[in-house]
Amino acid sequence: MPTDLIPALDAAGLPGPPWLFHMLLVSTFFLHMLFMNLTLGGTLLAVIAHFRAGGRRDDPRGALAGRLMTVNGYGISLTITTGVAPLLFVQVLYQQYFYTATILIAGVWLAFLLLLTLGYYAAYLYKFRGAPTRSRGGGLWLVASAVMFLLIAMVNVAVHLLHAQPERWADFASGAACVLRDPTYLPRLLHFVLAGIGAAALLATWWAVRRARAGVEVELNTTIAGFAWRWVLWATVLQVVDGVLLLLLLPRPVLSAFMQGGAATMIPLTLAILLGVGLLVMIARVTSPLASPGIVSGTLGAMVLTIAVMSITRHQVRTLYLEPSTRLYEYAVAPQWFNFALWVVLLLLGLATVAYMVRRVLDAPATGGDAA
Amino acid sequence: MGYPIWDLAIGGSLLMALVAIPHVIVSHFAIGGGLLIAVTETLAVKRGDPELRGLAKRSSLVLILVSTVFGAISGVGIWVVAGLVSPAAISTLIHTYVWGWAIEWVFFVLEIVASLVYYATWDKISKGAHLLVGWLYFLGAYLSLVVINGIITFMLTPGRWLETGAFWDGFFNPTYWPSLVLRTGICLMMATAFMVFPAMRAAAVHRDRLVRYLGWWFAAGGLVSYAGYRWWEAVLPDSVHALFQGATPALATLAVTRHLALWSLTAALVVAVVILLARPRLARPATAAVLALAAFAFFGGYERLREGVRKPFLIHSHTFSNGLRVAEIAAVNQQGVLATAGWAARAAATDPAGIGRQVFRVQCASCHTLDGYQSIRQALPSLPDVLAVTADDPPGSGARTYRNRCAACHSDVSFDDMKGMLPSADEVRGGPDMIRDLNQGMISGALVKLRVAGENYIAADRTRMIDTSAFPSPYMPPFVGTEEELAALSDYLGSLADDREPRMSMRGGE
Repeated sequence: MPTDLIPALDAAGLPGPPWLFHMLLVSTFFLHMLFMNLTLGGTLLAVIAHFRAGGRRDDPRGALAGRLMTVNGYGISLTITTGVAPLLFVQVLYQQYFYTATILIAGVWLAFLLLLTLGYYAAYLYKFRGAPTRSRGGGLWLVASAVMFLLIAMVNVAVHLLHAQPERWADFASGAACVLRDPTYLPRLLHFVLAGIGAAALLATWWAVRRARAGVEVELNTTIAGFAWRWVLWATVLQVVDGVLLLLLLPRPVLSAFMQGGAATMIPLTLAILLGVGLLVMIARVTSPLASPGIVSGTLGAMVLTIAVMSITRHQVRTLYLEPSTRLYEYAVAPQWFNFALWVVLLLLGLATVAYMVRRVLDAPATGGDAA
Repeated sequence: MGYPIWDLAIGGSLLMALVAIPHVIVSHFAIGGGLLIAVTETLAVKRGDPELRGLAKRSSLVLILVSTVFGAISGVGIWVVAGLVSPAAISTLIHTYVWGWAIEWVFFVLEIVASLVYYATWDKISKGAHLLVGWLYFLGAYLSLVVINGIITFMLTPGRWLETGAFWDGFFNPTYWPSLVLRTGICLMMATAFMVFPAMRAAAVHRDRLVRYLGWWFAAGGLVSYAGYRWWEAVLPDSVHALFQGATPALATLAVTRHLALWSLTAALVVAVVILLARPRLARPATAAVLALAAFAFFGGYERLREGVRKPFLIHSHTFSNGLRVAEIAAVNQQGVLATAGWAARAAATDPAGIGRQVFRVQCASCHTLDGYQSIRQALPSLPDVLAVTADDPPGSGARTYRNRCAACHSDVSFDDMKGMLPSADEVRGGPDMIRDLNQGMISGALVKLRVAGENYIAADRTRMIDTSAFPSPYMPPFVGTEEELAALSDYLGSLADDREPRMSMRGGE
């Protein structure tokens, strides 16, 4: 493949072995996906629920929209926070591909910041001024927020496809918009969108079932659970179809290498397919989620596992896309083991601190004079 | 240099400033606000003071809406912009300090989670638990500053890292502690400047007390900032001082920025003493806005100065602002710049006459635009400029044009000498094409000097900060490349003035 357009590897080398950064990239991306699904899928589902309710808060679907966007007030922040880590590690491993891809669509990539800001503040405006706090209305803010997040997903899918295909950069240079015509662009985008809607709907179902079984607003929560569960079902059906389509549309060399990758690639893929089909079976068996809380919880667990497995598969596909280029060089490695160990210790301390804080908060409800 | 180049009309450095300055203002507010809100709530609980509590609560809403949203997004934005305009430099920074950033991310997670919990649990949990969350927020926020400060200061004063390449040698560099003190003071100033607004919404009988309370914080922040700034300035190497201090600073605009920053700090302290401490009733939205603007001007001025005095480097003595590494100069001179810049070479291959333009994009476009910020075209003398100097009619207009248009680059040549060196007005009028030859000659001479600077860098000891003060144009990266590329660049730049409209204000000699 022509290599003259691929920038040289950074002379500073990797501050740790490549496997470590591959692992960190995948694991932090998985964490990011958990919140991203809520942000993108939750906002899209909130739009659907809001308009199905005619914008009214006293309709259960309007209440669901309010719930989803209340969660998103925090979820968007955590999506950004957890997105920082994979953004860091992708720059460590793939800087020459990633920076080049972003420069090829520089204006759009920069606009992603504006879209994120607008989407975030629009979500807050819906939370404070729309149906969640007033009897009706606010749909415009909600739609604005959803459109912004969808556009961000489009930008990120475009950057991913651009950075993974350096052999096509010469074509992209004359107009990077042609990445939209990549056969895998739309299925890949849909794969994220459907996963988001399915995950957000499942979480909403799980919470509604939990509340109803605790005797809180039983009628409302039962209706919400039924509505959201239907969206879990349809999003998953479409997701399985789209996933197969995406696999078949991969460039032939990538698909061949993937299928011939042995246990390393086939185990995650097989697991993902089994989980997808298993999810469908579990979801289809349940007509009333309230009557099957165990299956709802199990489905939630299976979906989290599916997201984890798909994060691995996605990364493997990327490495296969890039393999013709990456096989031409080897990373220089200058490990900083002390700093890595320090990071691990601080990460554990940080997580323990967060856990302690959350526990203290949950254990210290107060009212009246005792309250902060 | 091997990355594609984004042709940005406003220039990469201005775009970075547009994203980075609002981010640092908000992020320092988020840190200082964390401390002030935690202290304020603690005092409120201890004293049973509902007004202080109200101030902490109202401020926390601003904190979450501004810092967790705009602060977080603009922080990511700095990476985004850096990757677009200086990919090689940000790559080096990330490869050197990935664990530093990863550690900062841990503190960032703590900061964000704590801020969300803090805001969401007002009136819902016990006072003790809420105070704990507030203090944990501040801990996370301040520790993230402790980490990022090491990476930011490393870029200006990499210290022993140049010799050892060791993470901690670069992290605890000569400006680390002064900068941390300075930024700690700035955090307090930024937080107070924001919190004055919620304080003014308190009940009338308590308003003055709350405003005065914030006044002490602002004064403390201002004085700590001043001490930190002076310390920071004192530890800078002489070659950096030469860029913005002394009788003839190499970059006069940075000297002006320094004065602006220090006078803004003085103004902020005076305004704070008057409207917050002495006469709190004068604290109105308009006067509070003046206070905030003065504080922002100081901070913005300092940031501009910190970025500016790093010239011509992004990482001092290691990577230039155009992504060229000091260690690469000799190789690029030998191979040619386009041989190492695939994207530019590809563009040049489709337009052989555009080699000069591609060399410009690779070597100059990180700081200069054609017509926008740091415009090259506007910096070149035009026919009316030359006529104005040579004709000097009416008398005095030539010297004025010389001061406005020539002196910045030709400070070593007086007006009379300049006039003597140029052809006569009649000769210029008789052969207007000479302006192109004149420009090309000047540019070629400047580029040759910059090539010599490259030799100086090659010969310099790269295990310590390079003293650039004796180099030609010490604030500019060297020219690198072949003789053909140098000629192509001077041809291209010399041709830029051809299609420029005469500036009406410069018609003196016509």
